Amino acid sequence: MIIIGVAGYFLRGGFNLGIDFLGGSLFEVEFEKEVNVSEVREVMNELGYSSAILQMVKTDLVQTESNRFIIRIKAKELGEPISTEEKDQILDLLDERIGVVGELLQDRTVDPGFSRVLINNALIAIGISIAGILIYVWIRFEFRFGAAAILALIHDVLVTLGIYAILSREINTSTIAAILTIIGYSLNDTIVVFDRVRENTPLTGRLGYSRVVNDSVNITLSRSINTSITTLFPVVLLLILGTSALKDFALALTIGIISGTYSSIFFASPILVVWNNRFPKYKK
Amino acid sequence: MRNKKVHITVIVIFIIIVGVSLYYVLTEPINLGLDLKGGTQIILKPIQSGEEEEIPESKLDRTIETIIERIDRLGVSEPLVTKDYYNNIVIQLPGVEDPDTAKEIIGKTAELEFRLVMGTFISVGEERWDPIEFDYEKGRLAIDPDTELVLLIDDISSLAAGRTYSIIGELLIDPENEEMLLVEYKVGDSQEEASEEGNGEESSNTGNEIKSVKVIGKIIYSQETAELQFADYESGDITGEVLVDSRTGAATMVEQVLLTGDDLARALAGYDKYGAIRVALSFKDEGVEKFAEVTSENIGRNLAIVLDEEIESAPYIKVPINDGEAEITGIDSIEEAKNIEIVLQTGALPITLKLEESSTVGPTLGRDSLNKGLYAGIAGLILIIAFMISYYRGLGFVSTISLMIYIVLFWGIIAGIGAALTLPGIAGIILTIGMAVDANVIIFERIKEEILKEKSPRVAVGDGFRNAMRTIIDSNVTTLITAAALYRFGTGPIRGFAVTLSLGVVISMLISLLFTRSLLFLMSGVPKIATPGFMGVRIRRSE
Repeated sequence: MIIIGVAGYFLRGGFNLGIDFLGGSLFEVEFEKEVNVSEVREVMNELGYSSAILQMVKTDLVQTESNRFIIRIKAKELGEPISTEEKDQILDLLDERIGVVGELLQDRTVDPGFSRVLINNALIAIGISIAGILIYVWIRFEFRFGAAAILALIHDVLVTLGIYAILSREINTSTIAAILTIIGYSLNDTIVVFDRVRENTPLTGRLGYSRVVNDSVNITLSRSINTSITTLFPVVLLLILGTSALKDFALALTIGIISGTYSSIFFASPILVVWNNRFPKYKK
Repeated sequence: MRNKKVHITVIVIFIIIVGVSLYYVLTEPINLGLDLKGGTQIILKPIQSGEEEEIPESKLDRTIETIIERIDRLGVSEPLVTKDYYNNIVIQLPGVEDPDTAKEIIGKTAELEFRLVMGTFISVGEERWDPIEFDYEKGRLAIDPDTELVLLIDDISSLAAGRTYSIIGELLIDPENEEMLLVEYKVGDSQEEASEEGNGEESSNTGNEIKSVKVIGKIIYSQETAELQFADYESGDITGEVLVDSRTGAATMVEQVLLTGDDLARALAGYDKYGAIRVALSFKDEGVEKFAEVTSENIGRNLAIVLDEEIESAPYIKVPINDGEAEITGIDSIEEAKNIEIVLQTGALPITLKLEESSTVGPTLGRDSLNKGLYAGIAGLILIIAFMISYYRGLGFVSTISLMIYIVLFWGIIAGIGAALTLPGIAGIILTIGMAVDANVIIFERIKEEILKEKSPRVAVGDGFRNAMRTIIDSNVTTLITAAALYRFGTGPIRGFAVTLSLGVVISMLISLLFTRSLLFLMSGVPKIATPGFMGVRIRRSE
């Protein structure tokens, strides 16, 4: 899974970072009639914004025309986002060619300098939470449990990011929030399994450590699956029903939850077996 | 028996809490965030000026006060102006109709200056002359490389109207280091010719012969302040600055500042007696004196009114003005005049601000997000309940009750403390619903296990809980650690998410460890309810 993700990253030439990270402008326009992407594209090209990203807001999956579009214009390399005048110019031409209804549905501008602050904050938040969790698990369990849990968690984050790279989905602040949630969730899942392992460890002498871990995974399996299902219900509904911002968030969560369940069973536990088997305490 | 009393007490306390919560849910409307009710959020970053290391707190506070005053004058209801962790100023304006104007007014430094005009730069070609524009991005004069002659003339409007004007000097640019020198302009008779005709054909023969000329001054670009300054050649003193004229875009040289916005008593947008749009300015007592002095000493010159390094207008001084009244003219619309009035009335911001982020959500989209988020939440909830009841039978009903209590408590706390519900907040709620159920699932699985060990329901509940407790605490604490990191280092929407996430985790932990536990204990004491079937275990029923 990680390999697919990493391959996806390189195939697609990196992540599709949103304006939250690169700086730029985003606005959502409502047109008087339904149009397809190329009609809007034409207007944008005419004004020299051929790199603008046009996203059609769909209410169902098959439609090819819409009266709502989200237009993203990333700031040029170290440059400024487009000015109010330039934005008005775009809107005027869109109004002339297609016809725009009243006010913008949303309108957002991020300065590239500020977005660098956002990236830093996100990385710091991820780093701090990982360190905090490692310390907590270390205190409550043992260091190797913590390390195996962190490895499972890195797996989940990489898988999520990899799928984002493959789908060329935009990564923005809500994706980062979702990834941080996945960190918490994945840990939650891994700890439930490890907790059972810890409880059953005294049986090692009789059964052998890998058997203990295996039994613990099996016994928590129904819990792991049930929890994932119940959490997935609202998240998947959000993915289907939500507005574009909610969908971004829900997609990351859906991938993360599935991956989180999978990794605690098939990834973290085997690591624990292989690693702990090297220590006398866990030998038969 | 004592145990039973404790459990009843716990349940009674919970019923009271739920009652109080329900009261808040019903009476206090939920405070919606800007992304759900529509509005504009602006983040402004203070720009440090050269001298100071850090922006003093007092300046920041004064800036915020001024901004609040400006917003009040814009007539926005319930604005919220705060500082964030990085000393950025975060402004939330619910339901603003014209966010672009709001952005412009709020962050405008509004530094007003009165400076005498020295002249305007023009490029002189074979047939025509053009004012030289000011290249904002580079902070330079935008001079066409083919231009051979650049002159500084004292009154561009006279030149355009064909009246008398005079040439102050010629601009010489060293092609190597781009150093700019202003030198005396001497080309025999062309100056006379120019003042006679003044129709744009004056400089047909400039004569390129080399002669010694007197240097008047030097134009220096100051990296630090990003200003184009004029220094007197002999003394080296800075005596002027090149600014842009907002009406024509022409680069104009002005002298040092004579009066500032601090000398103003009042600004008022309106019309003059000819019906032209203007902003009337009146000075304070001290300003009246200074203004009278300046105008009487400089009759026949133009006095530039400069707002944020841009010349708004440059009236010609005909007579001394002793009553301290001035006006800014040449304004395109009365709205623009009103905007100028607001920024001048509230005074200049003590620090310069840069727009870092602005984000506007229209009311339609906001309502849409709220509705869809709620639908997803409710539909998800129904699915969860259906799943829990079909899988865990009687225990499923217990978890349904716990879940309902969870939602009432959560909603009640949000309404009670007046926290704003945002879009990521909704996502947080939906996620924590899943996590609240998780605690139940862990408990129920444990109880099932104990029952499979053929323990009585009562013992099974006790043992199951004891085992589940540890797991629930460990797994929730790790989520809380993540939430804390999110809150501490996150910005805006992420913080909202972190708050709902931690609130949800704490509430669900309390409910499952106290309420669900007591309820299950009491139920396990009733033989009719406490059957293995109720606990979702079917295989042992035959026994």
